[in-house]
Amino acid sequence: MASISIRNLVKRYGSFTVIPDLNLEIADHEFVVFVGPSGCGKSTLLRIIAGLEPISSGELYIGDNRVNGVPAAQRDIAMVFQDYALYPHMRVYENMSFALELRGTPKAEINARVKRAATLLHIEPYLDRKPKELSGGQRQRVAMGRAIVRNPKAFLFDEPLSNLDAKLRGQVRAEIKALSQQLKTTMVFVTHDQIEAMTMADRIVVMQSGTVQQYDTPEAVYERPSNQFVAGFIGSPAMNFFPVELRGEQIVFSQGGTDAPLDAKSRDLLRKAGHGVFGIRPEHFSVTADAAGAVAVTVRLVEPLGSDTLIHFDLAGASAIARVDPSLRPKVGDRLNLRPQPGRAHLFDGSNGQVLR
Amino acid sequence: MTDAPITDAWIRRLNLLQLVVAGIIVLTPTLWMVLSSLKPSFEVTAYPPTLIFAPTLENYAQLTKTTPFLSYAINSLIVTIGSTALGLLFGIPAAFAVSWTRISWPAILTLAARMAPGTLFLLPWYVMFRQVGMIGSYTALILSHAVITLPIVIWVLLPSFDGIPRSVFEAAQVDGCSVTRILWRIALPLVASGVAVASILAFVFSWNYFLFALVLSNGDSKTLIAAAFNFIGEGSTQWGALMAAATLIALPPLILAALVQRWLVSGLTLGAVKG
Repeated sequence: MASISIRNLVKRYGSFTVIPDLNLEIADHEFVVFVGPSGCGKSTLLRIIAGLEPISSGELYIGDNRVNGVPAAQRDIAMVFQDYALYPHMRVYENMSFALELRGTPKAEINARVKRAATLLHIEPYLDRKPKELSGGQRQRVAMGRAIVRNPKAFLFDEPLSNLDAKLRGQVRAEIKALSQQLKTTMVFVTHDQIEAMTMADRIVVMQSGTVQQYDTPEAVYERPSNQFVAGFIGSPAMNFFPVELRGEQIVFSQGGTDAPLDAKSRDLLRKAGHGVFGIRPEHFSVTADAAGAVAVTVRLVEPLGSDTLIHFDLAGASAIARVDPSLRPKVGDRLNLRPQPGRAHLFDGSNGQVLR
Repeated sequence: MTDAPITDAWIRRLNLLQLVVAGIIVLTPTLWMVLSSLKPSFEVTAYPPTLIFAPTLENYAQLTKTTPFLSYAINSLIVTIGSTALGLLFGIPAAFAVSWTRISWPAILTLAARMAPGTLFLLPWYVMFRQVGMIGSYTALILSHAVITLPIVIWVLLPSFDGIPRSVFEAAQVDGCSVTRILWRIALPLVASGVAVASILAFVFSWNYFLFALVLSNGDSKTLIAAAFNFIGEGSTQWGALMAAATLIALPPLILAALVQRWLVSGLTLGAVKG
């Protein structure tokens, strides 16, 4: 078990810089999720921690040891791969015991550790099987078992759930979360799925173009996004954005010029920034009979989800979504007054996307 | 859509025709050789050729009586097994290294060496081996035949190594394996069928290779294929014995070639990755 410290890390492939300058501190026992769109550098960063990719410059510490240039084999970390990467010619037992055997662990201890991990992951009946004789979910468990038996300093997961079907993904997600609480080991998990990030992480690293956009708890990333990218990436359906500007003392939508439902504090912030982007999550609209402080919209599309209903509408030249109570039974063409819930609106700088607070 | 079955039937017939033509081209000389080896010597060159005759083993008996056939066969085996082993010893790590590093020029270089005419190597080798007194030695023959076997091993194994998901190697690295250990413990077992195919092909090509043995061997180390050449035109050609020799020479490659079919790459990596 160990902390992971990344200092001024740069990663280049030839003249192409994937990670320009990255700093990150992952505490001991912490479950950190790297999340971001494809090509944002999250998997590269994980592979750098694993020792599968060299560092162009900067420093990487696992515990107190500087591990720049230390081969993966000597880093004492375990990794679960997206495609599981089991050894096809070995049985499940051998897959799990291989790393221990390499370290010269006594046979009795190997046996005990493999059995313990197999019990934990419910794969005892499959220990004599080859990977090709297992289902996707079973292979996934074997891959985790292979990591667990090592008792490593840290676990690294590279999108391990992406090959599972939706139902199994939810189940394994919960199992990994439970495991992390049971094993109390540092875990770094890479995903492009923000639901995985939100549900599993102690802290989330939101990445874009090789830079950390925000590193915080799931609640903070959701409630207080540091910029428009984070606000748009976390949350489903995504946050609605509307360009706004100050005209006299009124905040208006840039397109259409109608009043935007923002408070006096926003007006002060916008005065400094010049122009901005008003952001609000679909679930943070309230439907109200009173038109004051609200925007009037026409329902364009209705998506009933059971627990709630999504309504699509156009506002100030943008397509937007609101999540409303299904008992409202909205219909296409209905006129609704939507008011942002107090304190739930976000304002971003129009030029750099940074949040204005 | 009514003419679809007719088209299919024609495709099947054309396929059959192709197979028959290919079979005739490949098998006629082989059959001729085997039948001739079993004919009395006066019938081998008879015109028109006889198809019905009393089979005899006299050509085989004459061959073993008049020539040191067994020692030639042993020479061939030593050179072929030696060069195949040498090819595997260097070819397996070389193919793995090319696959691992994705630097392909060494493999292309060996392929170029394989495609170049043997005479290109022959003269320098002859001079070099003569200077160190190795002409006629098994070592010289084995080393020269490695030029045949090494590219075969590399080029047969390269796609096999490339076919293993990279993540399997990376998992082994994270598990604590050195690159050498990854080769022996992970990669090699996964390309076992490829190694079998490479070994058999290397064996067959080395066994059949004529030029180096003709020049670099001597009376004691002559291989079968080079010795068979001497049966022609030494006074009068012993066609029956020559056919018997040719049949015996062709036998090991034919048996091994048949075995290759059983070692087709079986997709051992199935199950390594997502299903």
